[in-house]
Amino acid sequence: MASLNDTIAALDRLPALPATSLQLISMLAGGGRDADLREVERIVSRDEAVAASVLRRANSAALGMRGRVAGISDAIRRLGTRELCRIALETQTSGLLANAGRSYGLRRGALSQSALGGAIAADALARSHTDQGVRVDREIAFVAALLRDIGKLAIDAVAGPDALEAIAAAADTRPFLAYEREAFGADHAELGAILCERWSLPTAIIQAVRGHHEPPSSPVEPLTDVVHAADCVARWAGLGLGCDGLMYPFDSGARERLGTTRDELEALVADILAATAPEQTPGILAPGNTLRRSA
Amino acid sequence: MSRSPSLPLKPEPAAGRAPEGDRIVVGVADLQVSRDPGKAIITYALGSCIGVTLYDPVAKVAGMLHFMLPESSVSAEKAAANPAMFGDAGLPILFEKVIAAGAKRERLVVCAAGGAEVLADDGHFRIGSRNRTILRKIFWKLNLLLAAEETGGQHSRTLTIRLSDGQITIRSQGKESVLWPR
Repeated sequence: MASLNDTIAALDRLPALPATSLQLISMLAGGGRDADLREVERIVSRDEAVAASVLRRANSAALGMRGRVAGISDAIRRLGTRELCRIALETQTSGLLANAGRSYGLRRGALSQSALGGAIAADALARSHTDQGVRVDREIAFVAALLRDIGKLAIDAVAGPDALEAIAAAADTRPFLAYEREAFGADHAELGAILCERWSLPTAIIQAVRGHHEPPSSPVEPLTDVVHAADCVARWAGLGLGCDGLMYPFDSGARERLGTTRDELEALVADILAATAPEQTPGILAPGNTLRRSA
Repeated sequence: MSRSPSLPLKPEPAAGRAPEGDRIVVGVADLQVSRDPGKAIITYALGSCIGVTLYDPVAKVAGMLHFMLPESSVSAEKAAANPAMFGDAGLPILFEKVIAAGAKRERLVVCAAGGAEVLADDGHFRIGSRNRTILRKIFWKLNLLLAAEETGGQHSRTLTIRLSDGQITIRSQGKESVLWPR
């Protein structure tokens, strides 16, 4: 168990989101689709791991492109700014989360996989919500969902061995966030939001991370609703399930505002599992893998 | 996503818990069948998904399916690519695979775990309970009865079956319990 002060102090010891990601998020928040490709190329090329991911993706069969790309510049031209930003963010967030979630009993890589699954779901849900007249930026939804569980890094830093398992074993039917607040003074959603504030991320992302298990009804935050539903979809796909299991509610208000049906969400569950399978991580929905809406 | 049974047979059954290297891991939307008595089949983090085991104690053949959603009608394309994703498509294949590996249907011991539900679902999605329902429907059609199950609630579960004697264990919230034999 830890006091709120101890938990907040632990945030200082956590690694920061790399500068490349911060620059790209800032670019996306400013309307990234019009971003200068040369500027993205400059940012992406500076990071070896990101550049390697970009080359791998550009050469992947999933893209259906003919001929291998020659170098990073060729890869960047083929992929475009939007996809480039996603690959960079995915790679760096995945690095940050690779060992995260130990205190929840998660295996190595499980939280990275869950982050990506949620991000893909959030992208599809944002597109669907926008089609219904409530505009949600797909790129920002992708980033917010990718970062939604970043606060679990802080819980890892302060939770003793088996502490969360003991809490979960004694839990009744309250949401798991309530137990985190009792044990650590703050829950992982709040701690994630504090981290995002420290990194000076856009307010909309901070709000979505903070509310991803408890989306506010007044005022309504469409982005938070999207990230909340995406988190549930990832759980149904079995992603990121630790000792906290399914001890999170699906907010009925968010469900009604989003207007998604059971069939639509189940189709999305199937999509993200395929997209996040360890042997193939295409990162975005392949053509045709869109959120299906029933007639 | 199904694979061939693990061969060849090993002469000596494993004593106690099988070491990590002797585990056959079943992923989400996956199924595995084995008749190697030195192995255990394991699946991690069953939430609303259901893990189903079939075991023939004489032939020492075991199979495990980890299905995610109840009905394949949600995506015919996904079901064609990977029937193990869905209960209605995956369960008959699991059954066929264990029979093909040498099990006899009249000897099969059938167990299940998982089918948890998110909190406050208010009856809208109920993926966990609908997974439990499809399990019963399919087994009714196949004329099979569940010998033991641990389903429902909100917890995630890790399910293991040991090939040497069919012992099934569930690990959840840091505690391990034996589901079968009781």
